[in-house]
Amino acid sequence: MSLLKLTHLKVHFPTQDGIVKAVNTIDLDIEENGKVGLIGETGCGKTVLGLSIMRLLQPDTRIKGENVYKGRDLLKLSEEEMRKIRGKEIAMILQNPTTSLNPVLKVGDQIAEAIRLHQGLDKRAAKEKVVEMLAAVKIPSPEKRANEYPHEFSGGMRERVMIAMALACNPTLIIADEPTTGLDITIKMQIVRLMKEVTKQRSMLFITHDLDAAAEICDNIAVMYAGELVEYAKTEAIFKNPRHPYTQGFLNSLPNRGLKPIRGMSPSLIGIPNGCRFYPRCDHAEAACKIQHPEMVELGNGHFVRCLQYDRS
Amino acid sequence: MLRKKTFAIGICILVAFSIIAIFSPLLTPYDPYKIIETPLEKPNKNHVLGTNALGQDIFSRLIYGTRATLLIGFIGALVSISIGTFVGTVSGYYGGKIDEFITRAIDIIMTIPMFPLLLVLSIFLTPNMLGISVLMGILGWAGFSRIIRSQVLSLSEYNFIYSVRAMGARDPYIMAKHILPNILPLVVVKFVFAAQNYMLMGVGLGFLGLGDPSMIDWGQMINCAYTNGGFALGMWWWLLPPGLSIAFLSIAVSLVGYSFEDEINPRLRRMVS
Repeated sequence: MSLLKLTHLKVHFPTQDGIVKAVNTIDLDIEENGKVGLIGETGCGKTVLGLSIMRLLQPDTRIKGENVYKGRDLLKLSEEEMRKIRGKEIAMILQNPTTSLNPVLKVGDQIAEAIRLHQGLDKRAAKEKVVEMLAAVKIPSPEKRANEYPHEFSGGMRERVMIAMALACNPTLIIADEPTTGLDITIKMQIVRLMKEVTKQRSMLFITHDLDAAAEICDNIAVMYAGELVEYAKTEAIFKNPRHPYTQGFLNSLPNRGLKPIRGMSPSLIGIPNGCRFYPRCDHAEAACKIQHPEMVELGNGHFVRCLQYDRS
Repeated sequence: MLRKKTFAIGICILVAFSIIAIFSPLLTPYDPYKIIETPLEKPNKNHVLGTNALGQDIFSRLIYGTRATLLIGFIGALVSISIGTFVGTVSGYYGGKIDEFITRAIDIIMTIPMFPLLLVLSIFLTPNMLGISVLMGILGWAGFSRIIRSQVLSLSEYNFIYSVRAMGARDPYIMAKHILPNILPLVVVKFVFAAQNYMLMGVGLGFLGLGDPSMIDWGQMINCAYTNGGFALGMWWWLLPPGLSIAFLSIAVSLVGYSFEDEINPRLRRMVS
């Protein structure tokens, strides 16, 4: 059963230079207990998608489409109803743990905050819960660490704190925005293992450009390019048999696959041309690609791709 | 090192003035309002600074004057910084239409020259000292509010604010618990400088004869000396002490303010040390 279902989700930002179409017509399903990896390069709209699910964007942002969580369209809820879902039902781990913790508050108090906002525990009970949460994310001597400030924590430890904060109210869905970025490789693997462990009974949208981490954690992977999904398939299929030229290029740019960059730059999200968005950078481009915008087609076995090569019907 | 010294000197003078203000009745040899001697006495062993044109003890009046000046500065700063912090935080945090409206309103308010308006209002309203200081606060918050707004605006885009919102916190809670502690150092510095500004302004009003007539303040003392021939008669013991007191107090507040400012601004800190 699907837990979160995005239908034709669009997120547009009005700016002085024109409308930035950060997210365009995204359809995405997250099953109960399912882990979906959202991968794509910087600036393709991954983070905006995550924030728009939580409705954390500026009030003048235009969000269209449906965002149905447990049968309720989150876009239609009042701010107060939405507030009750944030943290308790859907929790978000924001990117960059260095700036995601308030520098002037103790770490323990920041985790306690999440607990007290939703569970109405008194100070003492909340404090016990904090220590329990810190222990759950494997922070050594949690009682002592709870009374320290964020600057006393290393990057990996801060990431653990972020995870503890997200888990504090036992949410059903976790949106993790680049939780492994900026960590060195050994710490990264620890965090990946931890995330895998704590999300055993939960659903997760795992936003990243780290394919190794995504492969380790996710069942399905969605590849995003210039505000839209270009490929969606089981993790294995993405790695063994990528169909979209962008996914192929992305994989080939990895160090262990030849470090071959995709030529060109990702396009500006203002005034996107018609036709395929990847066309200017694509090695397989044909004349039709410039004119016709491809639709998502299923190749069977839950493998979807948005490319004219496969869309010839 | 220098920072610590300037702070120590400033705070010492400030504490001394505060003690004088609080314990004025104990420190004054005479009732400052009472006519006790022949007018225009020169300084002698009974009257350290002589007497004024009415025959009141100048030294006692000088001591009592500390109260008015300190209170005007403190209350004025409290009012203006409170309003400014509140308006600036709301404007910067919510953004959008609310911010647009508040920013335009502040632009308009800032074009009104404050001191002349204060003069006119204090003539019409003939307020007491409390009224004057509150009035100053109400007229003076706009510029400060703009500084706070810009700080809050950038702070609101920090990840940790998103992070707290993602937890399901209410806006007023976020502003009080997460925004305010982060702008507090700036608020403190601005409070100190605002207090200094309002002290001088209070003295200025007093000198123009627009202060609270029932309170003694240093500006009023200088005005009194001026209008009653203190200048013409060369009675420096009447004029100089209130003037010097103002200067001293103002310098002390500045020293405290600057050392706070160095503390919150690392770029300044490097230049000093």
